[in-house]
Order: sequence, then structure tokens, then C-alpha cells
Amino acid sequence: MTLILPEKISLADANQLWRETLPAILRLTKGESLVLNATATRTCCGAGEAFLVEVYRRSIMQGFSIESIDPQHVIAHVFDFFDPATFIEEPKNVEHPNTHALVQIGVATTRIYKDVLHQLAFLGEVTASFLRVLFRPGRLRLRDTMLQFERTSVDALPIVMLIGTLMGLILAFVGASTLSVFGAEIFVANMITTALFREMGALFTAILLAGRTGSAYAAELGTMQTNEEIDALITFNLKPVRFLALPRIVAITLATPFLSLFSVFSGLIGGMVALYFMGIPIVTFWQHVLLTATFTNISLGVIKAFVFGLLIGLVGCAHGLQTERTADAVGRAATAAVVGSMVMITVADGIFAIICHILWI
Amino acid sequence: MSDIIDIEVNHLQAGYDTVTILDDISFTVKRGEIFVVIGGSGCGKSTLLKHIIGLHRPQSGEALIKGYRIFGGDSDEQDRAMRSFGVTYQNGALFGSMTLLENIMLPLEVFTDLPLEARRMLAEMKLDLVGLKAFASYFPSDISGGMKKRAAIARAMALDPGILFLDEPSAGLDPVTSDEIDELILRLRRTQTITFVIVTHELASIFKIADRCIMLDNETRGIIAEGSPEELRNHPPHPKVDAFFNRKSMNG
Repeated sequence: MTLILPEKISLADANQLWRETLPAILRLTKGESLVLNATATRTCCGAGEAFLVEVYRRSIMQGFSIESIDPQHVIAHVFDFFDPATFIEEPKNVEHPNTHALVQIGVATTRIYKDVLHQLAFLGEVTASFLRVLFRPGRLRLRDTMLQFERTSVDALPIVMLIGTLMGLILAFVGASTLSVFGAEIFVANMITTALFREMGALFTAILLAGRTGSAYAAELGTMQTNEEIDALITFNLKPVRFLALPRIVAITLATPFLSLFSVFSGLIGGMVALYFMGIPIVTFWQHVLLTATFTNISLGVIKAFVFGLLIGLVGCAHGLQTERTADAVGRAATAAVVGSMVMITVADGIFAIICHILWI
Repeated sequence: MSDIIDIEVNHLQAGYDTVTILDDISFTVKRGEIFVVIGGSGCGKSTLLKHIIGLHRPQSGEALIKGYRIFGGDSDEQDRAMRSFGVTYQNGALFGSMTLLENIMLPLEVFTDLPLEARRMLAEMKLDLVGLKAFASYFPSDISGGMKKRAAIARAMALDPGILFLDEPSAGLDPVTSDEIDELILRLRRTQTITFVIVTHELASIFKIADRCIMLDNETRGIIAEGSPEELRNHPPHPKVDAFFNRKSMNG
């Protein structure tokens, strides 16, 4: 078989050689010979060089001989740099992770186990440094804490209030559609108040903060880990937990109850507007609200919000500090922080429900 | 070195937002030349590079690559300009989620119709050129800084560009590795006639590889010297050039 190479082996020529000529060459067997005629060839692109290496590699593997006519030393020049013998093994396949179901389950299980261990260790560290700060409050980085508090609370206020208002509005309409059958629209006010104070205010604020702040904490600390900033802190003998995590956790734990109350208040306004259009006077609405908003209902919501905030801060910071040193690890840490926070919030809410049931609250 | 001009910069004014960092920069680079941009830290070397390769739009003036403009022409012209060069960044900028081989195969996959085995062979050959064939299946996080820079050069060469822009290719490397990168640059110029524009402040590597260099200065915001490194060392046109090449402190 004879192969005449063009004057300039361009990318398009190389493409053709790879796609159309190579299959014919692959059919050559031991004893046959291939003549590479490069009389006219002057230049060769990288893909063309790759083709030549591939042809020589195949000749070694399949046993056919190659005779090259190469007056311009184009082919010889390629082999000054590349030794086809070193490419003898199949080019390395890019390794893909084992996708067998059992392996996946095992990997996931060990990962969850390690994750839980990490979280526990982190929780211990946070508790220890919190206790130390309690005894010497001067050790808490107040400026950082205030800054984080502002970012978590004041900056989140518009979105929290917007969601709160809509939630109240929607609750009112949904509640009214059922209760109006019994002519009991006015009790929609009681329902909204109970739902918002006890459950929805804290829950929705927490879910919002998990997405808004928890992920931000994880991404921030994760990026610092990637940039070796955490290492720098450690070598200054500053504990990352006390220096970075604690201010954030304190900030979000204190901010969530406030935000939750704002969310409840906006929800009540939303409900009031909805009921006003259904013919219920504003004063009547507020009378029912004041009757229902008992100390128990309000404090239950605030305690829930406090716990949810603490969980979001803990989970967000823990994932941030555990980040590996690659760019996609930061993204994974942020995702894990959001998902983890939501799971923890739901579990905690469930526990609250059980406790309230037992205590008849 | 031929007389064909690969890069032409005309009265380029560069900066970010309202701040002007470089003003009225003009120079040309010939095909096959190794052109080095030097200057103290913060004088705008990387800024100049970013404006030539089109990451930022010049405030005024223009940069032509192989006669094509990145800004101001149609998208076809921009495409031709962008396809004719490769760039490596200070820290390599390899994609962390891909192996070295995949990193180099990526531009081939996007810009060529080559079949998979051709792309793989070509990528392996590029890695072989920079001495990293054995590390093809490694992830960037698993290799050293010098290896990352070499892998980045291999990736920049994937599409056989005629021009390579290297931003501090040997900064932060030990002298032996830095020397290897210099050797690689000289070999690539000799064998593939690649034009190099290199930002660096490693004196040893400047003397070893540079055909011509320009020195930028942050006070005048412009070029204070141009010539071969030997010329600049022996007949410095400016005290700062003397200080740079003869390692004198400006304060002392």
C-alpha cells in the first residue's frame, strides 16, 4: 500500500488521514508493507504528526513494515521528538470511577460515616471555643461578628419580608377557601397567627438562610482553605474555629430569631390585606391575632428559629472548613452546606413537634 | 527569525475602569522571536498581556495579532485572532476537575473534528513534548507547580498556535525546573517556529532566552527601554534599567 502525503498537511488533511486512511492501514498484517511518500511534504500540523506516530505505532504492533520516502526530512523530524515505541501501549484511558452499585453504596456509607465524625469533632471544637469565649468574652472577634450579623440579618431583610408577606397572603386565601364553607372566615386570622408564629415563620426563614447564608459561609471558608489562608491562620496559632467559624455561628444564631419575627410580622400584614378584601375589618383581624399570639406560641417560634440558626451556622462552617483544595470542592461544600442544613432543620422541626405533642404545648 | 510581523501594538492605552496603568505603548514582535516584557512588580506587565490577548478592551489604541484585531473588527476577524495564539497564566490555570490529558484534549474537542483516538494521541504527544507523558492521568492537584506550568504550556500548544503568551512561566520555581522551562521554550521556538511573548523578571532566564525585551515602568506608565538584554545591561538608557540588570538598589 502506498500513501502519498500532501504538500502541507493541514488540520483538515490530518482529519481525513485519521478518519479515512487509518482504517485501511489497520487492515495491514505481518509481511505487508506501507510506503509513505512524503516527497512533496514540507509542513505538517500537530494532528498530522500524531497520525505519523500512530502509523509507526501500529506497524510495531501489527508487524507490517514501513518504507518512507522523505527527502525533506519531515517524517524524520517528527521522530526526533517522538519515539513511537513509547506510545506502544494503548494511550491511557481516562480513568472513570467505579460505578458498580455495591461499590457506590459502600463509598457513600464510608463518606457519610466520615462526615458525621467530622461534624461531631467540629461541634466539640465549637463548643470548647464557645465556652472559652463565655468566660473571656473579649476573645470573641466582635467586629467580625457584627459584620457577619449585618450581612446575615439586615441584608437579608428584604427577601425575608417579601417571602413572609406572600406566605401570609397565600395562607389566608387557602384557609379562607375551606373555612368560608362554614362561614368562619374570621378564624383564618387565628389560623395564620398560629401557623406563622409556631411553624412557618421560623421554618421559612431558616430555609431561606440555609440557601443564602449557609452556602455563603461554606463557600467563603472553602475558598480560604483553597487559598491556604486557613493554613496561615493555623501557623499564627489562631484557631480557625474561634477566628472564623465562631463569629459566623454566633451571628446567624442571633440573627435568625429576629428575621423570623420580621417574617411573621410581614406574614400577618399579608394575611390582613387578603382578609380585608374578603370583607373582614382590619381591627377585627388584629383582635384575633392578639388573642392567638400567646407567649407560648411566640416563644416557641423564637426558640425554633434560634436552634435552626445555630444548625445552619454549624453545618455551613463545618463544610467550609473541610473543603478540599480544588475549585469544584468549593461548589460541593456550598451544596453540602445547603442540603445538610435543610435536613438538620427538618429533623429538628420534627423533634420540636414531638416534644410539643408530649408536653401538650 | 523572519521579517513577518506577528504582533503589532499601536499606541495602546490600558487600564481598568477609570484608572490608566499604561499609556501609549507601541511595539512589534517578529515571527519566531522571543520577546520578553520586564519591569518591577505592579508596573503593568500582566495588564499589558491581558489587553493584547483580549481579556480586557484597551482604553484606546489597538493590538494586532497576525494582522487581525480582537476588538473593533467583525466576529470572524476576532475568531482568527483568538485562534492564532495560546496563553498560559501565572498559576497554570489547569481545569481542576480534569486529568492532564483531558485538559489538553478539551480545546481539541471544541475546535477540531478529529476522532477521539487522534485527539488522545495528539494530547499525549503534547504532554511528551513537555516531559509529562507519564502523568497523563494525573489531576492538576496531584502534581507540582513546575509540572503545572509545563502542562499549561502543553495545553496552550494543543491547537498548534503560532504565538504563545506566557505569564511568568518560571516564577516561584527552583532554578533547575526554571531552566528546564527555558530549554523547552528555546526548543519549541527552534522546532515549531513559535513566537513567544513572555512576562518575567527572572534575570537568568531573560539572558538565556530573550531576543529582545521591553521594560515597563509605573511612573512613566510606558516603555523606558527596548533592546536585547545584553544591550540594556551594557548601555542602560535609564537608571531603573541599570538597577534592574545590574541589581542595584534605587535607594542606595
